[in-house]
Amino acid sequence: MSFYIKTVEGNQRQSTQALLQQIYAAMENGEREFVIDACGQHDIGGPLWSADGNLEFTVNNPGQRVGSMAMAGTTIIVEGSASADTGWLNAGGEIIVKGDSGDTTAHCAAAGKIFVGGRVGTRSGSLMKHDPAYDAPEFWVLKNTGSFSFEFMGGGTAVVCGIDSEEFDSVLGDRACVGMVGGTVYYRGKASGISPATKIMDLDDADKKFLAEGMPGFLKKIGREDVLNELLDMSAWKKVVAKTYQERMKSKSNKKGMNNFRMGDWVQGGIFGDIFPDDGKVVNMINRADARLRVPEWLNSMFMAPCEAGCPAGIPSQTRFNLLRQGNVEDAYRLILEYTPFPGSVCGSVCPNLCMEACTRCMIDSAANIKGLGRMSTFVNVTLPAIDSNHKIAVIGSGVGGLTAAWLLRLRGFDVTVFEKDDVVGGKLVNAVSRERLETKTIEAEIDRIKNSGIKFELNTCVDKQKLDQLEKEFDYVILAIGAYQPKLPPWEGKEKIASYLDFLKQVNAGKRPAVGKKVVVIGCGNSGMDVVFGAYACGAEQVTAIDIQQPAAFKNEIEHAERLGAKLIWPAFTDKITDKGILLKDGRLLEADTVFCCIGEAPILNPILPEKETDRGYLKVGEDFRLSDKVFAIGDMTKLGLLVAAIGAARETSMRITAECRNEVFAPRPRIRIPHERLSLGYFSAVDTTEAVEKPEQDFNRCISCGTCRDCEMCLRTCPEHAITRVVSAEKGTFEYVSDPDLCIGCGICAGVCPCGIWTMRDNPTPEGK
Amino acid sequence: MQTVKINDITPNDLPWKIQWEPCACKMCGSCVAACTFGAIEVGVEGRGYTWSEGVTPTPKDDERYSIPVIKQVSDIKHHCVGCGMCEKICPNRAIRPVRNQDNRWNMINRVGGDMPKRGGRANLNADDRTLDKIVVGRISQMTDPALDAQRHTFDIRAPFGRILPAEQLPLSVDPATGEMKMKSNIPPVHWIYPLIFSDMSVGALSTRAWEAICLATAYLNDECGMPVRMCSGEGGLPVRLMRSKYLKYMFLQIASGHFGWNRIIKAMPEMIEDPAGIIIKIGQGAKPGDGGLLMAAKVAPHVQALRGVPKSDLLSPPNHQGLYSIEESVQKMFLSLNAAFKFRVPVAIKTAATASSVSIYNNLLRDPYNIVGGYLLDGVQGGTGAANEISLDHTGHPVVSKLRDCYNAAVAQGRQGQIPLWAGGGVGMTGNAAADAFKMICLGANGVFMSKLLLQLMGCVGNDHGRCNACNTGLCPAGLTTQEKKLVQRLDIDKAAQNIVDYMLSFDQEMRKLMAPIGNSSLPVGRSDALVSIDRDVADKLAIQYSC
Repeated sequence: MSFYIKTVEGNQRQSTQALLQQIYAAMENGEREFVIDACGQHDIGGPLWSADGNLEFTVNNPGQRVGSMAMAGTTIIVEGSASADTGWLNAGGEIIVKGDSGDTTAHCAAAGKIFVGGRVGTRSGSLMKHDPAYDAPEFWVLKNTGSFSFEFMGGGTAVVCGIDSEEFDSVLGDRACVGMVGGTVYYRGKASGISPATKIMDLDDADKKFLAEGMPGFLKKIGREDVLNELLDMSAWKKVVAKTYQERMKSKSNKKGMNNFRMGDWVQGGIFGDIFPDDGKVVNMINRADARLRVPEWLNSMFMAPCEAGCPAGIPSQTRFNLLRQGNVEDAYRLILEYTPFPGSVCGSVCPNLCMEACTRCMIDSAANIKGLGRMSTFVNVTLPAIDSNHKIAVIGSGVGGLTAAWLLRLRGFDVTVFEKDDVVGGKLVNAVSRERLETKTIEAEIDRIKNSGIKFELNTCVDKQKLDQLEKEFDYVILAIGAYQPKLPPWEGKEKIASYLDFLKQVNAGKRPAVGKKVVVIGCGNSGMDVVFGAYACGAEQVTAIDIQQPAAFKNEIEHAERLGAKLIWPAFTDKITDKGILLKDGRLLEADTVFCCIGEAPILNPILPEKETDRGYLKVGEDFRLSDKVFAIGDMTKLGLLVAAIGAARETSMRITAECRNEVFAPRPRIRIPHERLSLGYFSAVDTTEAVEKPEQDFNRCISCGTCRDCEMCLRTCPEHAITRVVSAEKGTFEYVSDPDLCIGCGICAGVCPCGIWTMRDNPTPEGK
Repeated sequence: MQTVKINDITPNDLPWKIQWEPCACKMCGSCVAACTFGAIEVGVEGRGYTWSEGVTPTPKDDERYSIPVIKQVSDIKHHCVGCGMCEKICPNRAIRPVRNQDNRWNMINRVGGDMPKRGGRANLNADDRTLDKIVVGRISQMTDPALDAQRHTFDIRAPFGRILPAEQLPLSVDPATGEMKMKSNIPPVHWIYPLIFSDMSVGALSTRAWEAICLATAYLNDECGMPVRMCSGEGGLPVRLMRSKYLKYMFLQIASGHFGWNRIIKAMPEMIEDPAGIIIKIGQGAKPGDGGLLMAAKVAPHVQALRGVPKSDLLSPPNHQGLYSIEESVQKMFLSLNAAFKFRVPVAIKTAATASSVSIYNNLLRDPYNIVGGYLLDGVQGGTGAANEISLDHTGHPVVSKLRDCYNAAVAQGRQGQIPLWAGGGVGMTGNAAADAFKMICLGANGVFMSKLLLQLMGCVGNDHGRCNACNTGLCPAGLTTQEKKLVQRLDIDKAAQNIVDYMLSFDQEMRKLMAPIGNSSLPVGRSDALVSIDRDVADKLAIQYSC
């Protein structure tokens, strides 16, 4: 006997809560079957249970959520239609709606069965689930669903029979099964808009069996057995199942690959293919061969060492030290004779050694002992070639410049004659430079080396204009190197009292003791002035004073030597006049003097020999090539007062030029490019005790950096990370070189970085245009 | 004794210092080989000490040795830009550039009186962005119906072209049939994706980089259904592209240098598709007052050909030489470029944001001839190419409030939406372009344009804090902004395009994630009620809700 509840009395409607409370109370009284004439009350049917048996509700006109959270053992029969959310969260109940059911029917149902004899609304079946501990939920619909059906369905089975739905485009509504991850939806008839992320399949035997077995019961419950045969025509059915997780992941990454798109669909050959050749290769950040960003080059001896560049004669001392390092002492000593015949007298004695001033080693401790190394070549001799009398060269003047030119031309085998107005050879180096600065045995040895070389000397021969014209005819080339012998004397009152210091020094150097007074004043504190100071003391002077209008220009060590001898240097001191008492300065001071010398320079005596030549402040004007005419060159002090080594440099260049012309060769002097300091790696070198270097210059190759010239240390070869560098020896030439294999080299520049000498150089390696 | 003089340049003067760990280095040479800037080199360093034996000072032998080292090149031309390729390539992670806060770069980087230049990034207020002070604050909860970003459909499309208001549509009803008909042509409008790949020229970019963006554009359209458009930039287009069907995804740009137009015009008879539009570039937000600048190092033969100029620094004039007024701009530029494709292709104009942007927009809004297809407003935080630092750092105008002002000006006239308003200049600067785009759209933009982020997606390591920014040198380590083939070859065109595609697919979803909670299934243009600002001044200026 059912428990009947009528929810409307007169115009009084029972609230949902009152109805539910009435049901609970009845259940307490043992009621199990209910017939409810509802009036839109919600939540009828669940979650309710009884230990004594099943519950059954027969409901008319329910509100929303009929059978929501219904439990196993509960049956709910809705005689007509139901509102929204029928069977929401159904946990096992059997819910039969004979008419239509509203939106979200069977929403989140995870167990039990829901049968609808009409249509269901939108989002029906969404989020259905299947708890594997229980039977899967079932959701049977006779007609069709609204849109968004079975969204996010996670499990269970739905059957949409499609009866009486021909007017719709889709029995599942639009956008069915979006986000579906599990379960099965059977449908019959037209359907569209089903999520493409699902699979729409034909039925297999198990599906057919499920439908065939379930269909009669479903139709019976809703009272529509009349359509059984129609629905058992399995050919009209399809099913929607979710893709598996693996299938979904696969389809997500199943987009056409970019490479496929580019090769297949895109403009063939690329949009720039006609104007920018591109093989499409993707390269590493590091490459070999042509693809390197930078490539190494072994630029041995391309740059001058600072010593070489600093020396007016361009003497490559780094090469001499390298020869010493290789143990080739003879060649090391001999090499300098290709540049000067005065390694001992000039380089080793009187030269201010601009080479050492420039020496890179100064940045570490002190310059390599190039001066000392010069002295090592004083007594060295060379094998001279036979004289070829086809080329005859006249040198006028036997000073440093003339003798150097004569020597270097003799080394090339030319027939050289030196004309000298004096009776001795050597010019100022022999006659004027103090022997306190230049040892007699040194200068004598070097003069002898020249004299014994086969050069002809004509002494006591004054060359004037007429003689020059004659020589030009007799000789292929004439080199003028007559020096400067006219002392400069300002127009002071009493200047006739000034003694000739050149005569004085010449006598001193000749071993005589020319008379000087007890008090001597020397005007001019250059090196010549100091030479006179030394000579004056040597000849018995008691007090020597040297004056200058400016800071003394003599080398520091010369000044120190003069002061050690007792000389006083006074500057600035402006001479007013020379009297019998001495020199009266413009400030009124009187410097008492028995003898006065004036050493403020000399001018060349050009008139007798070159009466018409252009001069500049008394000196002969020559071009940069020292050339006066096709055949005549002029070098040395007659063109400009300068260091001895400057005259040597001019002589060397002139001799090379003449040599080239005689041999029809191109005169190609070594470019005077001093190696930039940044190219060197000085990290190897530390300051050391230089005592030994001073004593043994031939050992100083250890300190020489060998700037710009390979010292053959093999650092590059050993550090190259790709083993790209090899040392290649030419047996024929007796030379070596380091070679980097482009097929191994990555262009890292370690070779350049570790090269102490700045030989390896990284060159940018841009792609040539159009390649 | 070291010899360093006070005015010698040393690494501590430079913006980046190289930090190298000798103990971790195996001297493989990779870092030096890979550095495109020549900013590091190998050197030799001496080491040494005198050691003492026992417990009293007892000097023993000296230890002296020297080792090869990786060191920073200390000259201005080869200064480290912080790109970090050394760190990337180093097998032992033994080397890296480190920002040098106390550098003297601005004082020394003017050798020979040359203005400092860099690859165009504003580096200005990079950490203090207006957009970051705005959040999407109106989230539908129990009131407005929110949408579901995954399940709902969204109409993420923006107009490019002149939109006629309904009352101006030339409609008539055929009295016989009762059908509605269009009496005359209406201006062309393309409904495109609301993010334009903004203008970077052939020349500014390497061939591969430019093509990768094209390729990504085509892929997004053809494979992903996203109608993204790309602007050519002011360097013309390769003829092969103009002859292809992909031209329909391209905006052609005409700027003050007019580079590339000879080949564009000549290619017209061979075009099988119309271009998507034309953008007249008046100015650029990152460096207004300065024209385009392509350094000679990048003017490769194909660039010379496309542009019709020899190798030299290419400077676009800061202004269009033939334009003297807004009216003239509209008449000459809009009319002629509309006519170029027989009024089938929409024409828009881009200016730098400026104090007078509202006046410009007001003027454009009149548009009596229906030829103004859009206004692109470019803010100060954009920039990709070479530029003079003085312009980059000290000229320009923020775009956010200017966009808002322009939109509100249109609203005041009831003309919003008629001339589509696009905003750019810093979109995606912090990596999330969707957030920036969404906020700009809520403030009144129909869509946004961006380019800098595209470079970063393709592998650019530069950022707005001074890293790399060497696009002007032609030495781009990523092969993006260089014409040196060895560097171009570093770029994997497929990977670069794929990265852009992936970003855009994500962008699309992120847009939905912002549209859904405010309940808009189409773009919320002007829906400033969706935004709140955590900064009172920003809220006041933009007329949006202040929240804290």
